[in-house]
This record gives sequence, C-alpha cells and structure tokens, in this order.
Amino acid sequence: MTIAPKAPRKLSMKDRYSALTRDLDWDPTYVTAEEMYPFTSFEGIKIHDWSKWEDPFRLTVDAYTKYQAEKDKRLYAVLDGFAQSQGHLSLTDASYLNAMKLFIQGVSPLEYQAHRHFAYLARHLNGPGPRFASLCQSLDELRHLQTEVHTLSNYNKYYTGFHSYLHQHDRVWYLSVPKSFFDDAVSAGPFEFLIAIGFSFEYLLTNLLFVPFMSGASFNGDLPTMTFGFSAQSDESRHMTLGLEAIKFLLEQDEANVPIVQHWIDKWFWRGYRVTALIAQMLDYMLPRKVMSWKEAFELYFEQQMLNGLFQDLAFYGITPPKFVEQAMEEKEILSHQVYWTLYQFSHAASFTTSVPTDEHMEWLSANYPKFDEYFKPLWDKEKRNLAAGGRHFARGLPELCTVCQIPMLFTEPGDPTTICQRASEFEGEHFNFCSDGCKNIFDHEPEKYVQAWLPVHQIFQGNCGGATIPDVLAWYKMTPDDGGEYLGSLDNKNWLEWHDMAEKTGGN
Amino acid sequence: MAVKAISDYKFPSKSREELYGGAMLVHMWWKNNPWFCAAACFPLPKTMTWGDFINGPVKEFFSEDPDWSDDTSFSYTLHGKELHPNPEDTLEGLGIWHKSVVAMTSA
Repeated sequence: MTIAPKAPRKLSMKDRYSALTRDLDWDPTYVTAEEMYPFTSFEGIKIHDWSKWEDPFRLTVDAYTKYQAEKDKRLYAVLDGFAQSQGHLSLTDASYLNAMKLFIQGVSPLEYQAHRHFAYLARHLNGPGPRFASLCQSLDELRHLQTEVHTLSNYNKYYTGFHSYLHQHDRVWYLSVPKSFFDDAVSAGPFEFLIAIGFSFEYLLTNLLFVPFMSGASFNGDLPTMTFGFSAQSDESRHMTLGLEAIKFLLEQDEANVPIVQHWIDKWFWRGYRVTALIAQMLDYMLPRKVMSWKEAFELYFEQQMLNGLFQDLAFYGITPPKFVEQAMEEKEILSHQVYWTLYQFSHAASFTTSVPTDEHMEWLSANYPKFDEYFKPLWDKEKRNLAAGGRHFARGLPELCTVCQIPMLFTEPGDPTTICQRASEFEGEHFNFCSDGCKNIFDHEPEKYVQAWLPVHQIFQGNCGGATIPDVLAWYKMTPDDGGEYLGSLDNKNWLEWHDMAEKTGGN
Repeated sequence: MAVKAISDYKFPSKSREELYGGAMLVHMWWKNNPWFCAAACFPLPKTMTWGDFINGPVKEFFSEDPDWSDDTSFSYTLHGKELHPNPEDTLEGLGIWHKSVVAMTSA
C-alpha cells in the first residue's frame, strides 16, 4: 500500500509575507552593519529596533502584481475606448487640458524620481519591513508614471503642450518649482526623504496635490485621467499609510528623534505647500467646470483632516503643527489669484495657455472669495480694457525668484495682500532673496544646500539656456509658438471650435 | 545649523556674481503697482548710471502697464532705506550690489 504524500500546506498571506521579508533578512558577518547600511546614521536619527516597524498591508509579490494587473486591464480598456470614440471631443473645453499639461510636465516626472529613490531606500534601510514597503512603493511610482504617460498621450495627438514634457521638466522656469522640491528631497538623507516624500508629500498634502487633478478630470469629461486616478488611488492609500508608519516609527524609537523630525515637518510642510500654489490656480482658474475652490479644498483636506485630525494624534509624541502654518491658512483667500495672475503674464514662455476669466467665472470667484472683488477683479478689469485697446499683458522681462521655492516673488506680506513679501539673508558675503518667512527659515538652516539652487532666471542671464532672447530660450525649452500664450485664438482653441462646428454640421458623424 | 551629510559638504553658489560676465543682477520692484506680479530682474554692469538704468531697462519693462506715463514721479528705497539717486550716479556708487532689490513707489 502506498500512502499518497500530503499536499504541501499553503501558507497564509501573513506567513508568506513574513517569509518574504523577515526570513530573507540576516545579520552581516563579513562586514559591519554600518558598512552594509552606510546611510542611516549620519542624520542623527536613532533606531534601536528595526523589527518594531509595523507593516500595515503585508503585501506579497504575487498579490501585488495580481492587483496591479487587474487595475491596468481596466485602465487600458478605458484608454482604448476613449481613443476609438474620439473621446477628447467630449471634454468641457480644450482649455481644460492646460491642467493636464501642467500635470504631465510638473507631476509625472516626480513619479519617476520617487520610483528611483524608493528603490534606493529598498536597498539602504536596515529593516526588512521598510525595505519591502519601499520596494512596493518604488514599483507603484514607476507604474504611475507609465500609466500617466499612456493616458495623456491620447491628447498629444490633437493638442499642443504635451510633446516635450520630460525635456521641459529639467529646464522650464515654472517646472523648476516641483523639480527643485524633489531634488531637495532626494539629495537629503533617507530618513529626511521619508518625512519629505513619504510623510509630507504622500500624507500631509497628498489630497491637496492629487484629488483636485482627478476630480477636475471627472468634472470635465476626462474619463482616462479619472480612471488613472482611481487606479492610483489604492496605491496612494498604501503610500499614506507608509508615510504615517514612518513618522510614528521614528518618533517611537528614541525621544532624541523628536526635534529632528519636527524640523523636517516644518521644512517639508512649507516646501510642499509652496508646490501646491500651482494646484491652487489650476483649481480656481484652469478648470472650465469647477469642482471646488482652492479655499474649500485647503479647509477640507488640510485644516480639517490634517490640523484637526493628524496633528491631534501626533501631539502624543510631542509634535506640533508645522511652523508658518498660520500664514498658509491666511493665504488660502488670495493664493490662487496671485499665482494665476503671474502665470497669465508669463504664459508666452510656458507650455500652457491662459486667458482672462469670463464674466461667469469672475462671478464664481467673487462668490467664493470675499477679497477677490477688492484686490483682483480690478486687475482683470484693467486687462480687459488693455485687450480692448489691442494690448495683452505679457511681461517684457524676467521676474525675481525665491531662492528656495524658486517661484517668482509674487507672495504678499502676511496681513497685507497689496505688498509683496521680500525677505533676504547673507551667506558668505552673498545676498539671497526669499518670498516668505517659511522659505527664509529653510535657507537659514542649510544655506550650503540652497546656494546651489539652479534658478531658471539666473541661469538664463548666465547664458546657460540657449541664448539671451526669449525665442532662444523657448527653442532651448523645445517650445513652439503654439504651446503657450493666450488661449483665445490659439491653435487648440481654433481646432476645438472647428472640430465641434464640423461635428454639429455632420450630426456628430 | 549646517547640512548633515556623509562627507564634506561645500559647493560654490550657482548665482555668484562672477558667473554673470562682469554684470550683476539687480531687482526693481514697483511697490504700489500690482499690475506686475513680482519685481523685475536685470543683469547690469555695476558702472551703469542710474539715469541709464531708469530710462533703459526699467522703462522698457514697466511701460508695459497701459497706465504708464513718462511723467510719473517715483520715490526709491534700497535695503529698507530711502534712496535719492542722481542720474549720473553709478549703481555701485549708490550701494546697489548683486541681487539687491530696489523699490520704487509712484506718487
């Protein structure tokens, strides 16, 4: 009689996860732990027990790839259907795509930076749990870049401004804002990166950064971007959890970590908040059909969820809300208007278009922002008169830039929306200018880092950007005359009107 | 507080004056005119006179405002102090240095 061998027992997901992480870890014997993990001590963070890292998701490779493949199938089915049915014609207006141009130029390349740096953490963190979590996030970020590029490539066939986003990300003045933010993070130590990107970007500000784009897509007929957003949403939930776990782990390991982490929270809140200036104007000015105002988004996603939720929990560890958060809260009334006014007058050097808000749009702005009529409507009224007289407000030169956030120095003094905020510091005999107390504070802590800032205006004047004239610089940016400037009368606007006129005449056939 | 790094951390400024081929950057900020979102930035020789500065790059940039008038009078400040320049003064002689911000206020 033969006895059939027992089928091998199938491990539970928890056991498989444990085998994949803890069981693949070992203590080095040929080299010291410091030699094996050389980058986790110089920042001053003390970790006593890496096994205390809690893994909230416990994904395994097979489960991870199965989920992602299912999501990809759904996304690519939508992309095919959208392309085959000329779905781009069902957008609210071609001007909506200015938001998506900003997204692919400014945000998508950050996904790739995140992919690379989480891969670095997946090698260099001492603990197997955070290493595997970083590996999963690294894969997510690469997939996000790919799906974003595939999603938005549909529009590149028909619309301007999408063609050279990677080339432009490294060069163009307004894209140096998100690029320098991420460069700052990846050139920091691994723990600071975890707070900068894992916590501040992916947790504290993530809803302000991503939800407006995806909701904007949903409200403006952009089914592919909305589907991409849903596809990425479950990853983002995991990233948020990783960010929260990272900060709690650091705070629980040693009391001496608390002031270091607090400083990073202060710094990276302000750095990230300044990047959201581009999102603020997008929400209030670039979406033909509005989702919510920037002010509402800030109150919901930051004030209610973060200040009244997260920071109440972090108080247990001795963490306080970020420095200068009161200034950010005050700016919610004026931020989007000041930023769009700036983009409007420099859009002749941009890969998106701008236009004066319509009367209906101005009414919406007035209704949502009590200060709009006093401070900003008069500017648009003056520009309307300027346009009627044959002018168009395009700046005839280049603006002063903030050394830290790299945004033109457009922000105003706290409590005074009429006076531009000017701050300065001296370092080794050189003068540096800043847009705010928040940016000056960041510089003053690490001047050696920010003196290296690649400020687009300064680089143009040093002769490093293709030439001395605007056409020279635009050629170096790989921008065509159709990519930027005024929307009304632009190639996108003309095509849009022509295609819809044609569709009406042919009954949509 | 210095940068925490794995080795010596010392790099030159990417905006230091010597990189501008003999020029320096000067910012001019029209303080009470929100038409211009930010101060303008100009690369200028230190020996440029105030008169050439005002009648050249400053006028070129700011006359884009449809309400611009050549007759408008301005008062000036530099580094928070009043500035009373003569047209023949040089920028350097007035105490304007690399990346200074000069503020002008229209009457």
